Amino acid sequence: MAENRLNKGWEPKIVAFCCNWCTYAGADLAGISRIQYPPSVRIVRVPCTGRINPFYIVKALQEGADGVLVSGCHPGECHYLTGNLSAKRKFAMLKNFLSYIGIEPDRTVFTWVSASEGERFARVVQGVTDAVKVLGPMDKLAKRI
Amino acid sequence: MESIEKKLREEAKRLLAEKKVDVIVGYEKGTLPLCSTPCFISNSEDTDRLVWDFFCRQNLAKYVHDLLFQHKESQRNVKPEEKTKKVIGVVARGCTSRSLIIHLQERQYHRDDVVIIGVPCTGYVAQEKIADRAGGEEIREGRVEGDKVVVKTVSGVKDIPLRDVIADNCLTCRFNNPVISDIMTATDAQPMSPDQEYVQVDEFGKRPLEERWAYFTGEMSRCIRCYACRNVCPSCYCKVCFVEQSQPRWVGIGIDETDTQVFQIMRMFHMAGRCVDCGACVEVCPMGVDLRRFLKKLDKDGFELFNHRVGAVLDEPPPLATFRDTDKDEFIFEPE
Repeated sequence: MAENRLNKGWEPKIVAFCCNWCTYAGADLAGISRIQYPPSVRIVRVPCTGRINPFYIVKALQEGADGVLVSGCHPGECHYLTGNLSAKRKFAMLKNFLSYIGIEPDRTVFTWVSASEGERFARVVQGVTDAVKVLGPMDKLAKRI
Repeated sequence: MESIEKKLREEAKRLLAEKKVDVIVGYEKGTLPLCSTPCFISNSEDTDRLVWDFFCRQNLAKYVHDLLFQHKESQRNVKPEEKTKKVIGVVARGCTSRSLIIHLQERQYHRDDVVIIGVPCTGYVAQEKIADRAGGEEIREGRVEGDKVVVKTVSGVKDIPLRDVIADNCLTCRFNNPVISDIMTATDAQPMSPDQEYVQVDEFGKRPLEERWAYFTGEMSRCIRCYACRNVCPSCYCKVCFVEQSQPRWVGIGIDETDTQVFQIMRMFHMAGRCVDCGACVEVCPMGVDLRRFLKKLDKDGFELFNHRVGAVLDEPPPLATFRDTDKDEFIFEPE
């Protein structure tokens, strides 16, 4: 892993699960406002963070993502009223569990970004990319074949 | 224990004779020494087969779900006026009753579909521990005498203290008496030592990250994907399990080690807020994978984050099916 970290060409791959109603629009706003942020994220649009099966996150890590970002509406602002709140419980347990079995906690990131927070979205992506860069490529759980 | 057994047989006989239940799910003497197996009794004359001892290992709630589910399926094409009801009587200790509560919370059947014959539990003997203590030799005969297990092997007779071979999950059990029951066969048993419940989890959580990962992969590399843990688990009852889904195929079926790891991570995560720590998966694992160390973490988090004890209260929703405004959110990422 240490060698990889020194690999100059390496850029992290981050899968971002974004809620259709807020973060996805926020990412769009970041784009139309021409805010610069690292091109490391691959956005997957989901109807709600409550729709995300924790398996998506584990599966993304297995299929070669170096980090996973999940972002939804701020608590109280969910389009479906409480989807993000029940998702929060799932994510709290998943993050704890993954770090308990030895996967770096910084690889799974959960946050809230609203539709008007294009600038916050850019900062989130920057923050996650920086954190994952420190950790280096995902070598645990990543399928090689 | 003999008095419990006697009362258990009487109650089972009465329930069957009065047609209060269609079948009793209980334990009978197994074919191997130091082993009791699940049995299904539908005739009131057969209730003498029922036993209750230190070798009743499996969680019987699984069968209650299976039987009721099969019955429901069989009723599908029956005219409404010809539909029948099936009531299952089940011998339930603490963990079995908690599994039943989970089924009821998850609306798998109604409370009146099941008659719970509660038995106070003092733990069961772990198969692996007794095999270890017998020095890996074949056990020819065995019985419990007071506070020791007498085991006869090729090299002679051995006395093993009972306390040494009781399963880990039983030693720290918080609910050794049934949480809900219709009939109790005896007064409550002595409590175990639940304050020691999370010692192993805490100790493991403090180890360095790389060491934890090494332990996890080491354990999972032994898993042969026989799915015995899934098949025996009372909380695993999906009609189509995610490992068998092919559109999409969630878990590869090859020999890739990450597929096994992902399977186990997800199966265990499915147990979040649902694992009652009955130890059935550990008991049946042919490779002796230390699943409990990981499952217990989910149990601990469920309690510490959401103040939820699995299967302790019938009217409470499962923790991941609900939320509170006061849920902690330190883990939510805040950019600089």
